[in-house]
Amino acid sequence: MYRWLDDRLSIGKLYAKAFRKAFPVHHSFFLGEITLFSFITLVLTGIFLTLNYEPSIRPVSGPLSGGQEVPAAYYSILYIDSLPFGAVIRSLHHWAAHIMIAAAFLHMLRIHLTGAYKNPRELNWIVGVFLLVLAILTAFTGYALPFDNYALTATKIGYEIGAAAPWVGKLLSDILFAGELSPTNTQTIPRLYSIHVLWLPLTLIALISLHLVIMIKQKHTQPRYAEKVAPGKIVGVPLFPQQAAMMGILFLVYIGATTFIAGAFLAHPVEAFGPPTANTPAVKPDWYFLWIYGILQIIPANWRFEFLGATFGPQFWGGILVPTLIILGALAIPFLDYSKEKQRYLELPSRHPFRTSFVIGVLMFYIMSTLAGYKVDLGLSNELLWVLVLVVPVVTGVVSYILIKAIYGKEWNQEVQVELRGKGPATD
Amino acid sequence: MADHEATAHSHHHEEDPQAHATRRAVLQAALGVSAGATLLSALWVGASLIPRKEEVPSKEPVAVGDVLVFATGPKANQEITLDDLRAAQREPIPFILAFPRSPQNVVKKDLITNTIMVILADPARMSPETRKLASPEGVLAYSAICKHLGCTVSQWQNGLWRCPCHGGEYDIYNQARVVGGPVPKPVPQLPVKVEGGRVVVAGEFTDRPGADV
Repeated sequence: MYRWLDDRLSIGKLYAKAFRKAFPVHHSFFLGEITLFSFITLVLTGIFLTLNYEPSIRPVSGPLSGGQEVPAAYYSILYIDSLPFGAVIRSLHHWAAHIMIAAAFLHMLRIHLTGAYKNPRELNWIVGVFLLVLAILTAFTGYALPFDNYALTATKIGYEIGAAAPWVGKLLSDILFAGELSPTNTQTIPRLYSIHVLWLPLTLIALISLHLVIMIKQKHTQPRYAEKVAPGKIVGVPLFPQQAAMMGILFLVYIGATTFIAGAFLAHPVEAFGPPTANTPAVKPDWYFLWIYGILQIIPANWRFEFLGATFGPQFWGGILVPTLIILGALAIPFLDYSKEKQRYLELPSRHPFRTSFVIGVLMFYIMSTLAGYKVDLGLSNELLWVLVLVVPVVTGVVSYILIKAIYGKEWNQEVQVELRGKGPATD
Repeated sequence: MADHEATAHSHHHEEDPQAHATRRAVLQAALGVSAGATLLSALWVGASLIPRKEEVPSKEPVAVGDVLVFATGPKANQEITLDDLRAAQREPIPFILAFPRSPQNVVKKDLITNTIMVILADPARMSPETRKLASPEGVLAYSAICKHLGCTVSQWQNGLWRCPCHGGEYDIYNQARVVGGPVPKPVPQLPVKVEGGRVVVAGEFTDRPGADV
């Protein structure tokens, strides 16, 4: 059998080329894989959901809605929840999306903290940033599909934030959502459904493939220990069988853990909010939008002017400008901090105090603007939150810079001296 | 490169290089025209993604003479009476969300900016401008769509009308002046009067309703 296949497909060559790819072994290297596992889980659970979901808001009634007339999309969610394990699979879809975004973010942090984005891997960093943005966008386009009052409200806020982009915002929002969101706009759900289950996932698959092909072509940056073990050589276990076995085990653990979470914390019961009405319930976004939500709340109301027919209001500053600047900043990182020589080994965060404390400062900014999302609940004043959002990250960055220098600086200097002395005789 | 190919080609077929160049030009022109036509038709198809404006009676904007009806709840689509507004005053949420109903008996609920907040308030507390557009009994109406990001302003806290989405707060006695949150503008007021116990629209919105984006 093997020979028959090998004869026709040259499996031997494929094995030698692709399956022997060396994977460095380090626990932080599994974050990208967890992101990939989440995506696979999302596709599989998503297929199940599409088979039972009706992308329409035509009014229907039946035993599941107690005879009450509800939108068909909403009814089909009740139907999915009534299937064996239906609610768990829907919940798994929800939590896998959260885990995918979280894992992708942590993966990006690992790359950032170890300088793995430097020459020659700038391109894959950029692909990665787009993947994270697309993953968040995909999650967002799925919000409206259950078509309960919460879903519609959350999506409507997204519509208006999109419309707050100058000049083209309204047009783009209208194209994405098929017009203004309302409980009776029949075109919105089919439009978002197509984007959520077809176009964005296809784009994600294409970009994930590109991400992996570039990674295989360029090889992983090597962990620090590889330099000591075998300098100048690629160290790691082959994709097949060792890495594949580890990935398999991790995938099973991942599925087990997320299914447990999904079963224990059933996501978003649509009955809690009911079908959309003219009323707006109290909503809070998911954690990966909470920071934008926080910033939107503390932007002063009077920051508003009009320019060439476009309105630049608080919605623009908080909802469009800040996220755009952060994405552009992320894209610029490999060009601001680059190395002329090709980067072979990961850098220790302790040896790069500026970069490490910058990352800590950015994380603090995220935490503080998330805290601003609880402005009303905690009764915090705008002035205090502005200080927290702007000053605390800077102070945190400065303090961690001083601490890293104080703790690791001496050790580092000694090592540099040892290295120089070690090289001494060779140059003589 | 192209020249080299051309000569190599003509050697094989003993062809006039002039004829070859003409053929090449024709092919290039054909390719250009096809690419242009493809792009244009793709744009034409793409433009259909912009939703059409449907003109149906239930999407007409609010107009003078419309009667306000309940937008939500068990009384949805029924006329809001002065008694209903009095009863609401004793509730935690003292206002009622309404849609306009045209004289042709169409409830115009498919236009989101037709969502209206109506409340019975003390005329003595209202600013003169606010009172001018309220009914003598103190019936007051505003667009219920938040100027920030288009949520329905649906909460009431410490005597202020409050949006649940980003904490915008409006003072209903003062032309919906913004007193809290990130809202850039007050929501427009809707002039109303009471006729036969029903709330009737008496004028246009004082400004464009809907989110200020």
